[in-house]
Parts: sequence; C-alpha cells; structure tokens
Amino acid sequence: MSTGFWRNFQVVAVKEVIDALRDRRTLLRLMVPAIMMGPLILLGLSALLASFEDRAEKREILVAGIANAPTLRNFLERQTYTIKEAPTDYEAMLRERTLTDPVVVVGDRFEQELQEGERPTVEIVSDSANQRAGAGVGSTQRLLTGFNQERAVLNLALRGVSGDLLQSVSVEERDLASVQARASRITSIIPMFIIMAVLYGALTASLDSTAGERERGSLEPLLMNPVQHLALVAGKWSAVATLGLMMALLASLSFIPAQWFIKSDSLQAMFQFGVWEVLPFIVLQVPLAAGLGAGLMAVAIRSKSFKEAQASSGLLIAAVTMTPMIGIMNPGGDAWWYLWLPGLSQNTLMLRVLKGESLGFLQIMPSLLVGTLLTLGCLYYVAHSMRQAVSR
Amino acid sequence: MIHIDNVSKAFVTAGPGKLFRQAPKQTIQAVNNVRLHAPNGRITGLLGPNGAGKTTTLRMLGALFQPDSGNITVDDIAVATQPRQALARMGMLGDARGLYPRLTARENIVYYGRLQGMDAGSAEARAQELSLLLDMRTILDRRTDGFSQGERMKTALARALVHDPANIVLDEPTNGLDVLATRALREVLRYLRSPEGGSKCIVFSTHIMPEVEQLCEHVVVMAQGRSVAQGSVEELLEQSGKTQFEDAFVQLAFEAPAQGATA
Repeated sequence: MSTGFWRNFQVVAVKEVIDALRDRRTLLRLMVPAIMMGPLILLGLSALLASFEDRAEKREILVAGIANAPTLRNFLERQTYTIKEAPTDYEAMLRERTLTDPVVVVGDRFEQELQEGERPTVEIVSDSANQRAGAGVGSTQRLLTGFNQERAVLNLALRGVSGDLLQSVSVEERDLASVQARASRITSIIPMFIIMAVLYGALTASLDSTAGERERGSLEPLLMNPVQHLALVAGKWSAVATLGLMMALLASLSFIPAQWFIKSDSLQAMFQFGVWEVLPFIVLQVPLAAGLGAGLMAVAIRSKSFKEAQASSGLLIAAVTMTPMIGIMNPGGDAWWYLWLPGLSQNTLMLRVLKGESLGFLQIMPSLLVGTLLTLGCLYYVAHSMRQAVSR
Repeated sequence: MIHIDNVSKAFVTAGPGKLFRQAPKQTIQAVNNVRLHAPNGRITGLLGPNGAGKTTTLRMLGALFQPDSGNITVDDIAVATQPRQALARMGMLGDARGLYPRLTARENIVYYGRLQGMDAGSAEARAQELSLLLDMRTILDRRTDGFSQGERMKTALARALVHDPANIVLDEPTNGLDVLATRALREVLRYLRSPEGGSKCIVFSTHIMPEVEQLCEHVVVMAQGRSVAQGSVEELLEQSGKTQFEDAFVQLAFEAPAQGATA
C-alpha cells in the first residue's frame, strides 16, 4: 500500500474532475455562454461596422432646403454624393433615433448671401445621444469644409492669387498601426470575456469541493483518511484550475468559427484569430486559473454553506473581472504594474497578442510569479482551514 | 485495540451578544477525563444521552482535533503524534457521513479505498465483497443521489470498512434506520467481531438502550462529558441495584453524577 503525496494528489484530482464533469446541468450552463460568446460578440461588432461601411459606400447626404442652394448642390453632386431631401420632422426623428444620419440645414437666403459674400450659415443637425447619427457628423463636416475651400480658392483665383497661399503647410497622415493593431481597437473586449470564462469555470468546482463538501457532511469523513491534507487540497485545486482552463479554451476556440460569420469586410480582413492566437491565450490563463482557483477555494472554505460561499466569492469575481476596466479607463499607455495584477495582466498580454506582438518571458514572468505565490499561499491556507472547519 | 486515557476537551464559544456589543466568550467542557478501553474481538458500547460528549470523543479518536489533555492510542499508535498511521488502522463512521451524490455507491467506496492506499483493483474487489456482506448489490452501481437513509448508511459503512481495518468506530450508526436495517447492521457487527469476521475491535456509540443490551459486551456510560460507569450490562445492573437496564442507565447517567456533585 502506498500513500505518497503525488499518488494521493492524483487520486483526489481524478475523482474531483469526474465529479465535476458529471454535474452536466451546471456544466452546460457554463459551456453554452462560453461557446456562444465568440460568435455573438463578433456578430454584434461586425454588424455595427458593416452599417458604417454601408453608409460610406452609399454616399448619401440628407439636406433640408437644398432648393435654396444650387451651388452647394452642384458641389455635392460633383463629389458623387446623392442628395436626399430631409424629412420635415427630422428633429423628432433624430431624437427618437429613427433617423441615423445627420441633417444639413440650408437657410432660405443661402444662394443670395453666398453671392453677396455674406457668409451664410449652414447647420449640421444631429443628436449626440443618437450615436449613429453622431458618427456621421465628421464626414459631413469634412464635405462642407471642402466646399468652403473650393469657394475660397475660386475667389482668390479670380483676384489672381494662388490657391496654395491658403495652405502654407501641406498635411499628410501616416498611420503606424499594423492591420492587426487597428483591429484590436475593436476586438479589445474579447480578453475580458476569456477572463470571465476562466473565473466562472473555476467557480462552481471550487465552491463544490470546499463549502459544498462541508455542507454535504462529506468533509469530515474525507479528513479521516490517512492522506496529507495538502495532497487533498492540491488534488481538488488541480481539478478547479483544469475546469477554468477548459472554459477559457472553449471560449477562445469559439472565436475561430465565429470569424466566418463576420459581415464587415474590413473587420474580416483585420481580425485574424487562429490556433496561433488561441495557444498564447490559454498559456496566459494558466497563472490566472491556478491563482484564482486557489483564491476561490480559500474564500469558500471559511463558509459553512454553498450559499454563503457564493456570496463571499462574488466580491472576488467582480474584482477580477473589473480589473481590465483599469486599462480602458486609463488611456495613458500600459503602466508597469499592469503586468502584476491578476486579471489585468492577462488582459494586457492578450491585447498584445491580438495586436500581433510577440511576448517575451519578461512580460509573462510577473503574472507567473503572482499566480504561483497566490496558489501556494491559498492552498496552504485551505489545508490549514479545512481541519478547523470540521472541528467547529 | 483502542485505548482512550483520561482525555479532556474544552471549546470556546460565543455567548449571547447585544446588537452593538460583542458576545462574551464562554468555555464549555465537552469532554472531561474520559476513559475507554476497547480490545479486539469485542463490541464496546459508548452509551450516553445527547450532548454527553460521545461524538467529541470519537472525533478526537479520528484525529479531527487534538485533546487538551490525555492520550488516545490505536493498536499502540498515538493518534496525536502519528495521525495518519492511526487512521490507516481504523474504519470510522462518524456523525457526518455525507456521500458524493454524483458518484455511484461503488465509486464512493473505491475512492476511499484508494485514499487508504489500496490499488484500484483491490479496492474494486473489496467493494464487491462488502456489497455482499452489507446486502447492497442492487444499489452498488447507482448514483447515491436519492438514496434512502438505510442505503446511505450502508454505503458509508462500506466506505469505512473498505481497507479491512482492525478497528471499527461507529457513531450512532442506527440513526434513522428502520427495524430491518438495524437488525441487519447488528448481524454484520456480530460477524465482524467473531473470529471468522476478523475479531475486529468495535466501538459503537449510541443513546438507544436496547441496542447496547443486544450487542455490546462492554459498556462505557457517558454523561456531561465524563465516563461515569463501565462494565458489562449485568455488571452495570448490579452497580445501580436495578433490574431494568433503562433504570440502571438513568441512575448511572443522571442521578449518580448529580448526587456526586451535591455531596
């Protein structure tokens, strides 16, 4: 008969994994959102982008009172725009969001004022609460600036002055971002969902193997076996971490077939997510699944019932899922400590993978170190608390 | 062979507190100088009313926590210093006997066998053997979720006996069992005590008198955390001067300690 640490660890781990996998209903409830997440997010994003692309392709502009401005009409038509008369109740429609394009409003005396050099006013009407209409304001503004510039150049040319005088500096844009980096602006919410998949995958197993075991009355007989308590805890923990990683893998893999459903051409061209992205994604989740699996167990072992454990673990889950928000709310670039905070470090590194950057050991090391320390500390605490839990 | 020698244990619990005042701590002497000697081939009963300290004593025997003073040995192995070696020599059916609802009865039993250091093959064989002994063939491959009280008890007992321990400790095993199941359990315990069954040392705690009368060769009466009397049923009747065992128990457990306290 052998009772070595490693052997006992394996016996417990195998039992816990089987036990967790038999909980089909809970597993399904976790797996369905994890698998559906990728396609749903990408579908939503691509539909949004496709609508922007459609608008750009259609080259339509809504104008109220275009009959008063033949010169402007001429300019717009030369830019290959189709001019549409705005509906009369455009203000109400913009507020109600039934109209998704801004409206250019031309005054009655536009043409006359233009000829007399009186600078007629043209309004661009949108509603900043109506996001899609708001997004169209920029391009409309550029179009009208173009009209202004053309008029100015013509006026100067009539007086024998070169139009170049209006532009003492020639401005050209150069975008340094790679195709993937540009796409990562849109796909930056994906890592947050992967982190959530890890946490929710680990949650049920961690509560069931600690507070659940206590509530069922099976912890006491379990401890009356000649097994090192740390082997018991480590075995349980390995099952918890495995489940967390399994959910992360499912969630990551769900993005691969999801790409086929992308409607937006530019997003399809930019979003490259294959096995070479999934692999680092999963490796990055290992310290998180390990550290937080152990952390959840440490929180739950103090609770007498599953319900109590759920309440206390809610705080931990919320804290970790919220850490990526730090990166979003602090746009001043990545701070050094981002890589040391569980959750945020995974988020930061996954974003780098999505941008197509390669990761070095020095970047992964902090989360690895934090994950290891968290795991060891929490497992030791759980092993110690387990005996106390049954002696009360 | 189990030897419990002058074991004491006190717990600190919170008393009644007020809304903004922390509850004052109270010390409760759960077990006070308890003695018990259970040799092999004998069923030793631990008889006492609810709250007498039986479960606390047996949990200390199961190495769940250490006594404040006194010694517990199992086959001359000290539980306090070598808990794992002592636990390997014991089969414990404690107060809490929760099973894993998503595992079958067989898997529950084999898991404990594996934790006791058995290889998978011999744990399986032993589960089969115990299913015959405890008449649980029909439930062996069913998940334990939805088991009746009797089926749970049988599974928990089989789990405790899987490694064929020389010492068997049962804490109120007949709680919630019907007459037939109780009778069957009694038969099993008699068999395990007999030389054919392996001459096991069996410690059996209960508050039900007829069980003790029918099963135990030696009885330790516990009351208010103390072992107040011990001997065979006949000896206890003689000590108390009663003819009914129930009267003798009431005399020994409630009246004699009270007289001792006032004297």
